This record gives sequence, C-alpha cells and structure tokens, in this order.
Amino acid sequence: MLTEGMTSLVEKGHFIRAFEGALARAFDAGEVPGLVHLSNGAEIFELAVMNTLRPPKDQVTGSHRSHGIALALGVDPFAMACEILGREDGLSEGLGGTQHLIAPDSGLLGSNGIVGGQVPLAAGAALSAKVQGTGGIGVTFFGDGAMNQGAVLETINLAVALKLPMLFVCENNGLGQSTAASYAGGGASIVGRARAAGIAAAHVDGGDLDESLAVASKLGGWVRETGSPAFIEASVPRLAGHYHGDAEVYRGEKKKVVDPLDRAGDLLLDRGVPEATLREIKTRVAEQAEEIVERAKAQPDVSDRALSRWTEGGAA
Amino acid sequence: MTVLTIRDALNSALHSLMAADDKIIVLGEDIRGGSGIKDGQELGGVFGVTRGLAAKFDARVIDTPISETAFLGMATGAAMTGLRPVVEVMFCDFLGVCMDQLMNQAAKARFLSNGRVPLPLTIRTTMGAGDGSGAMHSQAIYGMLATIPGLTVAAPSTPADAAGLLKSAILGDGPTVLMEHKGLYGLEGEVTDGLPPVPFGKGRVAREGKDVTIVALSSMVHKATEAAELLARDGIEAEVIDPRTVKPIDSEMILASLAKTGRLLVVAEDTAFAGFADAVISVVARGGFDRLKAAPRKLTPPDTPVPYGRKAEAAWLPGADDIAAAVRSLAGS
Repeated sequence: MLTEGMTSLVEKGHFIRAFEGALARAFDAGEVPGLVHLSNGAEIFELAVMNTLRPPKDQVTGSHRSHGIALALGVDPFAMACEILGREDGLSEGLGGTQHLIAPDSGLLGSNGIVGGQVPLAAGAALSAKVQGTGGIGVTFFGDGAMNQGAVLETINLAVALKLPMLFVCENNGLGQSTAASYAGGGASIVGRARAAGIAAAHVDGGDLDESLAVASKLGGWVRETGSPAFIEASVPRLAGHYHGDAEVYRGEKKKVVDPLDRAGDLLLDRGVPEATLREIKTRVAEQAEEIVERAKAQPDVSDRALSRWTEGGAA
Repeated sequence: MTVLTIRDALNSALHSLMAADDKIIVLGEDIRGGSGIKDGQELGGVFGVTRGLAAKFDARVIDTPISETAFLGMATGAAMTGLRPVVEVMFCDFLGVCMDQLMNQAAKARFLSNGRVPLPLTIRTTMGAGDGSGAMHSQAIYGMLATIPGLTVAAPSTPADAAGLLKSAILGDGPTVLMEHKGLYGLEGEVTDGLPPVPFGKGRVAREGKDVTIVALSSMVHKATEAAELLARDGIEAEVIDPRTVKPIDSEMILASLAKTGRLLVVAEDTAFAGFADAVISVVARGGFDRLKAAPRKLTPPDTPVPYGRKAEAAWLPGADDIAAAVRSLAGS
C-alpha cells in the first residue's frame, strides 16, 4: 500500500478510537441508553479487511462489537452516534441501538446482539450475490467466543457445501466476555478448526497492518475470484473491557500489549511520515469525533415516535 | 375451477411464482433431493411439495445440509439483500433448532432497521399429529410462533387457501411462517384458476350456523365441520370460522359470528396453555363480552408432548366427537 493510502487508513483508525472515546464519555455522562462494547485494539485489522471490500456490493455482518466495523465501512458517523445515543437521525431513529447497527447502503447488513447470530446472515448476502451474479461477497466478523456457537460452525460447513462467496473473519482477542478463549475452545487452534471443515484459512497478527493488508487481500481476493469461502483468524488485543465500564477484575495481571494503532504509526514513521503529521492527525480526528458526538447529544430522543409507527393498530 | 390437492396447489403456486420472478429461490433439506439424480426424478421434498422445481429452476432450488440454524439464517440474509427465499423447514418441531434465527434475526430485522430493510421471507413448515410420528415430528406450534413480534403466521385448511396464503407470503415484504398440516397434503378441493393470493388477517366462514361459533384452524376446521354435521342432526347449527391466519387474527369475523350465536368454542391443535385458543378467547372476552351468553370454551390437546401409541395419540387429539360433545354442553348452557 502506498504511504498516502496507509496514512489515510491510520487516520481512520485514530478516528474510530476517538469516536468510541467520545461515546464512552457520553456513556459516563448518562447519555447512552445501553452498554457500549468498544473496538479498541481491533481498528487497524478491521480497516485492513475493509480495504479489500467493495461495499455495498459486498455486505458485512458483525457482532455486538461493531462500531469499528461500521466506521471502517464508511457508515455515516453522525447517524451512527445518533443511533447509539438513541436520538433523532439515528440509523433507525433509536429503535436498534449500539448492538443493532444496520446500514446496507454502506455495506453493513447488520451488527448483532446474539453471539454468532450474524454469521448465517452473511451467508445469505453471499447467496444473493451468487444467485444474482453481482460479483459481491458476504463477509462476517465474529469473535473467538462465537467459534463455539453452532451457528458459526454450521455456517462454515454450509458455505463450503454450497460454495458460497463468503469471507469469515474471526477476531480472536482471547476473551469471550470474561472467559478465556483457551479455556472455552477445543482443538489446537481456531484456524485449525476452520481448516478441518475444508475451508481455505489463514492466521494473521491483527496488530500488524502490513500483514493484515496482505492476508485480507489474498483471502478476500480468493473468495471473489473462486466464489468459494475463506476464513481469517486474526489475533487482536482487547484494549478495553467487555463493555465500557467493565471493571475487568477477571483479567488478573494484564499483559503489556502494544497498541496496534501505535504499531501502525511506527510503520508510517519508518516510511518517513513526520511525527508532527501523526500528531496533527490525532488532534484533528479527536476534534472531529468530539464534535460529531456532541452534535448527536444535542439531538432529541424521538424513539417513542419511531416506535408508534410500528404499534398503530396494535396486536390482536 | 379445478380440483387440486393441497400438495399440488402449493406446488403449482411455487411453479407459477418462480417462473414470474427470478428473485424467488427455494431452499431446505431434501427439497431437490437425490444425489445427482436429475430431470424431474428428484425427491422434491419429503412431502413432494417442491417436486419438479429443480428441473425447471435449477440453481434457484437449493438443497441444504441438515443445519436449520445456518440455512434459515442464510435465507434471512438473502431476503435482506434482494432475494425472495422460500425455506422449507421439514417439521415445525425443527424450528426449535433454529429459534435464534427465527425469533431474533428474521422476526426483528425490519423493526431494527426501522423499516429500511424489507424481509420477504417465507418459511414453509409442517405440523400435526395423527400419523404416529411421535413427540418431535408432530407438534403444531402456531400459537407459540404467533407470540413473536414481527412474524405473520398462517395455517391453511384448503388447497385454495394453501396456495393463496403461500402467494401472499412470497409476494409480501415480511417474514411469514406457513404451517402446512401433514395430514392434509392429499386433501382435495376446488381452486380458482390462477390460484389468487389470499390476504392475511381475513378469515373464512367454513360453515354457516346460528347457535354456536366454532373457531378452528387447519385440520381442526375439517373436524369441526364434521362435528357440525353431526350436531345438525340434533337441530344444533354450528358456525365454523376458519381464521386462516393466526396472526394477524380476523377479530372482526369472529366477533360478528359471536353477535349471531353468543356462544364460542375454539378448537386448536397447539398448546393447552397460552396457545391459539387462549388468544381467541382473549379477543372475544375483551371485544365481545356483552355478546357472550355462556363462558367461552376451548378444546385443545392436553398439556403433554404428542404421544406415540395409536390409542394414546387418538386420545390426545381433539376429534369430531369431542367437538360435538363440547358444543352440546355449550349450547345447553
């Protein structure tokens, strides 16, 4: 990737981090109806995958932790902030919320409140693309915890059996809420379990931008060219709690992890991008994110009006 | 007018709609059937409803692995992205396997998108006791399904209604579960040429009468009609209402019949507690209390799983004699 493109990608990564930081502050101020699950640590990897996609021809589903995926796809951050805050001009006027972000125009078929529930839906997007010959692919993001859900294991097999153009993306952050992935998952490795189902699979260090770009491009391209499914397992750190405000007492002694955003920044410095430029980017996106979330906070809550459109007539 | 069985009416409706719209796909277990067999020799579903489709529409007729969660979810995602999938879930008992995809994904997607995402998904499934299939291939869970916000649930009793409701489901923009009774596939009836769609929420008066209103669905409509003929010999004229759709329910038709008769019996094959019968009695208690001359009654199977042995299964299912007895006691009260 050219330095210009990589700088833009890193800028997006910082924007996602800043956007979620602003959301977390809004949560602390009592402005968010529910809990928010932050993508901290996965931004760079998610952007690397999106770099190979062509939304809205390609459609993506994600888990409860999908703010980063949505922003990486190019979903309007203001509409997203309004939705997460349950306000007017939100994607669904506040009926869906943080775990149910839906923006198919940008390629986000939906995020999901059920661990693994989003995975079969992406198979549907893949089937649609195949039957209609659009050249698009279905993509699904899920965590290590979801690797133990029937929905995920079944869909891997289904995608192989029906030869669906579908990319499975497992973000392994080592924790299913508070339970260690090493405790909950059988087999030697996640990528090994995927391979056993007959799917092309690769593991990547999701904190390594170069490697992530290469693997995403290789497997994404393979899905598009062959029409067959592929599977990426990415190791990504979870830099925040399961949700914002999680005391994380279960984590014991935290291992020191290098922030993938810093690692990506180092790559840019190696390429000769001045440190001042990086600092300027961080300041600029932080201001942008703050401004967007502030504007969302000023929006009225009209979710009751949105609801009333669904209740006219009422149930029997 | 032509005479068709329910199986053939459904099959014919699928053929004509698929020929008219290449966005319609059908998928499920064994719905093509066969391992490489072609040219119309495929199984076409265990009840033969999708027979012949593979030969005509090939790539749009998709056999799936035995993975209800994965394929119902796939159909839901396909419906969100431009196709009109018709999924066959072999027995409604199997919806237990994929309840997340039904209850959380298919049923909620339109609401969660605030109407931005259409969900033209039809789930065809079978139900019904009476053939010795036992506890896990015989349930009729229409009342339970109807409690899920976002789902339309229909249960036809005639070939015309089966084809018509299937057409409304496929041409509609929301998820619909069509409950087909295993025992009725071979039932013949007259159908209008072209098999016109039957709107949801509109019932049918299966038999007119003035003394008692019997509300029943699917195979129970036929048992209720049989009971009504027995009762007519004794001078009791029962009106049989077939709502056809469980939700939305045709409250208007039920209340109008009650205005005439003042007496209500609901016959259902689903659950004894909080099922279809209780829902109809609730509609009547709230909207037609002043029309009731006697306490409403219901006839459902007992609160147990479907038993296997012939005598037990026969005792478990409401029959025409049970219905007639219930009406007699109601008419005399």
